[in-house]
Amino acid sequence: MKTAVFWGCCILTDQLGYEMSVRETFPRLGIELADLRESVCCGDPVKSVNDFAANYLGARVLALASQAGLRDLFVPCNRCHFTICEARNIIEQNQKAGQKIKELLKEEELEYNPDIKIWHTINLLHDHIGLEKVKKAVEKPLKNLKMASHVGCQIIRYSDLGRVDAAESPYKLDELIRALGAEAVDYAEKLDCCGSALMHSHLDSALSLSGCKLKALQALNVDGLIVSCPDCGLMFDARQKDTATIVGAKLNVPVLYYTQLLGLTLGIDEKKLGLHLNQSPIEDLLAKISA
Amino acid sequence: MSLVDLMTMATPNFGSREKILAKLCGRELVNCFQCIKCTSGCTALKLLELKPHEIMKLVNLGFVDELVSSDIIWTCATCLKCVQRCPQKASPYHVIVALRNLAVEREAKVPGRYLKAVSQILETGLAEACRKIVTRKMETVDRECLGLPKVSKPKENFQTIFMKAMEERP
Repeated sequence: MKTAVFWGCCILTDQLGYEMSVRETFPRLGIELADLRESVCCGDPVKSVNDFAANYLGARVLALASQAGLRDLFVPCNRCHFTICEARNIIEQNQKAGQKIKELLKEEELEYNPDIKIWHTINLLHDHIGLEKVKKAVEKPLKNLKMASHVGCQIIRYSDLGRVDAAESPYKLDELIRALGAEAVDYAEKLDCCGSALMHSHLDSALSLSGCKLKALQALNVDGLIVSCPDCGLMFDARQKDTATIVGAKLNVPVLYYTQLLGLTLGIDEKKLGLHLNQSPIEDLLAKISA
Repeated sequence: MSLVDLMTMATPNFGSREKILAKLCGRELVNCFQCIKCTSGCTALKLLELKPHEIMKLVNLGFVDELVSSDIIWTCATCLKCVQRCPQKASPYHVIVALRNLAVEREAKVPGRYLKAVSQILETGLAEACRKIVTRKMETVDRECLGLPKVSKPKENFQTIFMKAMEERP
C-alpha cells in the first residue's frame, strides 16, 4: 500500500523520534510513505481563533493528498487526525461553509476530495496490516516486559466522527503491544488526558495533568509507557522533568513511541529509531529489551 | 463566576446568544437538560474549575458576553469527553470553541500563544518554528544531521488565501 503522509507541526519540529521510527518501520511492513508537496499546519491551533479557517486548513490537507494522486492519507498525530476528520465532517454537513472552503481551495488550484481514507498509526497497524502480520515480522520478541499504553484523547473521541478505537475502552494499542511479546497492563488512569492543549494557556495545570498520570504509572511498576501521539509524547517524555517538579515527585518512567518499540523488535538500530532523542530515562528499558 | 450572581446582576443579551447558535451549525445546544455528565468527567474541572454544564446554561440564558470576556473558556483541555458522553448531542466542547471564536472577534482577552500560532502559520505554513533538538546526552542535532527530509514551505499565494479564510466569520 502506498499512502500520503501528513506529519503536522509537532512531529516535524520537535518529536523527530516518532517521524524517524515511522520512516524506518512502515516500509518493512509493506507501507510506502509519500510526503506531501508541502509541510503545513492542519488547523488545530486555529480552531480557537477561527473555526472556519481551521476547517479550511484541514480540507487543504485532503486536497494536497488528492493532488498527489493517492487515496490514502496517513496522519500519525492525534490532534491533526481529529482536525482533518472534523473539517471533512463540516464540509459534508454544512453546505454554505463547505462551498466557501472549496472555492478558496480552487484559488490555489487545489480540489477538495472527500473520498480519501484517513489513517492513524493505531488503525493502520491494527486494522490494515493486522496483528498476525505484525507478529510475523517481529524478529526479537519482547520478554518479561510490563508496558502501559496511553492512546490519547482526540484519536478515540468522539465516536460520531468515526475514530480509530473504542471511546471508553480502547484496546487496539494494547493488542499491538502484546503482538510484540510484552504484557499490556490495564490501569485506572488510562483515559486521563496528557494536558498538552493547556500548554497554550495554563502551563502549570497542563504539566500537573501529565505529572499525575506518570505518578500513577510509576506506582504500577511498569517497564515503560507507550504512546502514539506527538503531543502526548512531548508531555510525558520531553517534559517529564518539568512535570515531576510540578507534582513534587521523583519520576522516572521510560516513554517510547509504539513505532520505536516496534522497530526494536524488528532489529532496527536504536539511533535510526531516534531513541537518543527521548528525554525520559529509557536506558534500563533498552537494556532489558536487548538482553 | 457563579450562575446565581449573573442571574441577579447581569442582563441577558440574546443577540450574542444567536451569534453562538449560528456558529454551532446544527449542534443542539438548546437540548442540554443539565444532566452534568460533561462536568463529572471534565479534565479541567479539578484543576481549573471548568464546569461545562454551567457554560451551557449560561449560553442558553443569554449570558454570552460575560463568558466571552471570562478566562474560563480558555481552560478547556479539548479532551472531547463531554462531546462523547453528552446524551443530547449538545456538545459543550463545540460551544466553548464558538465562544473562543467570538472572544477573538471582539478582541477580548485571548491567550497570546494562539495568535502567535496563527502568525507563525502565515509566515511559514507551520504553527511552530523548526528548531535544534537536544538529545538525552545533550548533543544538539537537527533534521538534516538526522537524515530527515527538509521541511517544505507552502506556495506563495497560500498566505493570501489563508488571510481570506481568517476573515470569514460565520
